[in-house]
Amino acid sequence: MNIKQIAKTAGVSVATVSRVMNHPETVAPATKEKIEKVMQEAGYTPNWFAQGLNFNTTKTIGLVIPHMLNPSYMEIANGVEEVARMRGYITFMCNVQKDVQTEREYISQLINRRVDGIILMFSSMEREYMKRIQKEKIPLVFIGEHKSMPKISSVQVDCRAGAAEMIAHLIEVGHRSIGFLQGHDPEQECLQQLTGYRNLLKANGIRADEQLIVKTENSIEGGYIGVKRLMAAGRPDAVYATSDEIAYGAMDALKDSGLSIPQDIAVVGFGDDRMSNLIEPKLTTVELPLRKMGIYGARILFDMISGEAKEERQIILRTRMRIRKSCGHKERIGEMF
Amino acid sequence: MLRTNFLGLELKNPVIVAAGPWNRDGVRLRESIAAGAGAVVTESIVSDTMLDVGPRIACDDKGAQNIRLYSDIQIEGWEREMKIAKSDGGIVIASISAHSPSELAYLASKLEKFGADAIELSVSNPMLESLEVVASHADVIYEMTKAVSEAIHIPLIVKLSQNTTNISKVAKAVREAGGSGVSAINTVRGILDVDLEEARPTLSTYGGISGDYIRPMALSSVATIAQTVDIPISGIGGISSARHALEFLMLGASTVQIGTAVMMQGKHVVSQIVKDMDAWVVSHGISRIDEIRGRALENLKSFDEMRYEPFVSTVTGVPCKENCSRCVETCMYGAITKAGNTVHVDRTSCTGCGLCTSICPEKKLSLEL
Repeated sequence: MNIKQIAKTAGVSVATVSRVMNHPETVAPATKEKIEKVMQEAGYTPNWFAQGLNFNTTKTIGLVIPHMLNPSYMEIANGVEEVARMRGYITFMCNVQKDVQTEREYISQLINRRVDGIILMFSSMEREYMKRIQKEKIPLVFIGEHKSMPKISSVQVDCRAGAAEMIAHLIEVGHRSIGFLQGHDPEQECLQQLTGYRNLLKANGIRADEQLIVKTENSIEGGYIGVKRLMAAGRPDAVYATSDEIAYGAMDALKDSGLSIPQDIAVVGFGDDRMSNLIEPKLTTVELPLRKMGIYGARILFDMISGEAKEERQIILRTRMRIRKSCGHKERIGEMF
Repeated sequence: MLRTNFLGLELKNPVIVAAGPWNRDGVRLRESIAAGAGAVVTESIVSDTMLDVGPRIACDDKGAQNIRLYSDIQIEGWEREMKIAKSDGGIVIASISAHSPSELAYLASKLEKFGADAIELSVSNPMLESLEVVASHADVIYEMTKAVSEAIHIPLIVKLSQNTTNISKVAKAVREAGGSGVSAINTVRGILDVDLEEARPTLSTYGGISGDYIRPMALSSVATIAQTVDIPISGIGGISSARHALEFLMLGASTVQIGTAVMMQGKHVVSQIVKDMDAWVVSHGISRIDEIRGRALENLKSFDEMRYEPFVSTVTGVPCKENCSRCVETCMYGAITKAGNTVHVDRTSCTGCGLCTSICPEKKLSLEL
């Protein structure tokens, strides 16, 4: 059966069948179901290769992910994939294992395979290489901040404000000496948090002690080792970690040294990972709108693919504080509203 | 006669069906239009759909409490729903809700493209999303309104919260940021009731209270904005009759929105309100509904402008009902006595507070100089 016969059997126009394949979101669910049933019964599948030649589209997008084992990145990917599916697209997910060379290879492979657009998640690609890709005229969207290309279409989270809000909270609870466990992944977002940390200390007349800023790996192990170094350098009242994973490791190490959280020392994280509400004490953290980052990344990419977007667009999302138990906060005011 | 122009939109009457699940998709919006509404507002469309909590609505005979009523259709699906909603004509206002200005601007520009006639920013919901707290700040409202007004060419309404120190400041921020109008008020944070046997509130978290409970607050917010800021207002809060709607118009609203009454009684309430408003207008010899807008404001003064008048209560039409002595029992100044069926007011003890004139079921007491 070809598309004309499908249309005839389903009692709709060829244009409607075409819309089911190309813009399924614009067809009423009942009609879409009816047409899909006819297509299924007839064993009809559109010839994507032919369609690619005819319409210059392959109905595919590429999603370049720093590391597939990081659940936060997967949550973002989930948002991208949902929007892509709604638009009738397939998503190629490329796991670059935090390696610049692999990232480059994947990007050129995606371009060679004629994807309609590419989303780069927390990319560290250098500016010169990105400029070269832009010459290919392929729609490109960044998820996360790119240090040297602030004007490119992107979805970002205001991590500086998120960190500042948390530091303000810790100061309000009564902590004056706050250690900072700085992961390096994603790099820009961690640096933004550090800026938020410094700004808030300054605003409250607290001198930032450089010994209390410890760089570490973004993992549970990184948190474990990092907090040991931090405790050797000084003895802060509270520990701020740039990710929940680092915070878990830090809590583990602090408990091993016989300290109680939050009675002896407070710990807060960043991300609102699913586990953060299950561990004891429940982790006070900053919620990142991960899925929404993916959803908006895909939305602005499809606006570019369809030609609707006339200029580069940046979507800035906000974080939200989740006050639980690990920060030593006794009242539940912030938790309720 | 009920025809009105609101923000450049020609409405056949000033009654708008407010945002809510009763307007959750194209078909429901079309139903609301068919019920006779001058315009309809979609359920609030958000960046990403959320799982519904349940139960999330409870009500009694005076109003309702709801928890987080947002659209479960992603923005992508609203292209289709808007088409269905507008297929019989009718004016559709898209309600959107989000935390950041750029998200709001994105959603608004999409809905404009899908055919929305206006946008309503719902940035004051008293829900877990903390929007109510955020949106009580005029500077935040300014930022959000500005981002959206720069992104669209259709009218922009901002729905305001009662939970703010100074609603006029927020309304002014809307105007300065390029907003075309405001709607007031959103639901007010509250708890409907507590089951004493179970020691459990009916809904398991704080929610937004609507209906009769909030109408006096809504009337006051609308009047305050009307007296202080030059911006068109859509009045919302506990409107279930033509009388309520007319009260809002007389206090300065250009249009009114009906939500909880539609939820608790069904959409026919809209046609009833429109019919009764029409009858009232005819019986009062009014040619255009706009003539009554703000008419009651001249009789609404600030406390400083109130005059000290030597009012006292006077009884008319005695004798009174035999088994009623509410005026006597409730007079806090001991000025009212009753002998048999005759009520007497001691003019030297009466301070003119006015309570008895509201309390008397027969309306036999009034204030005089």
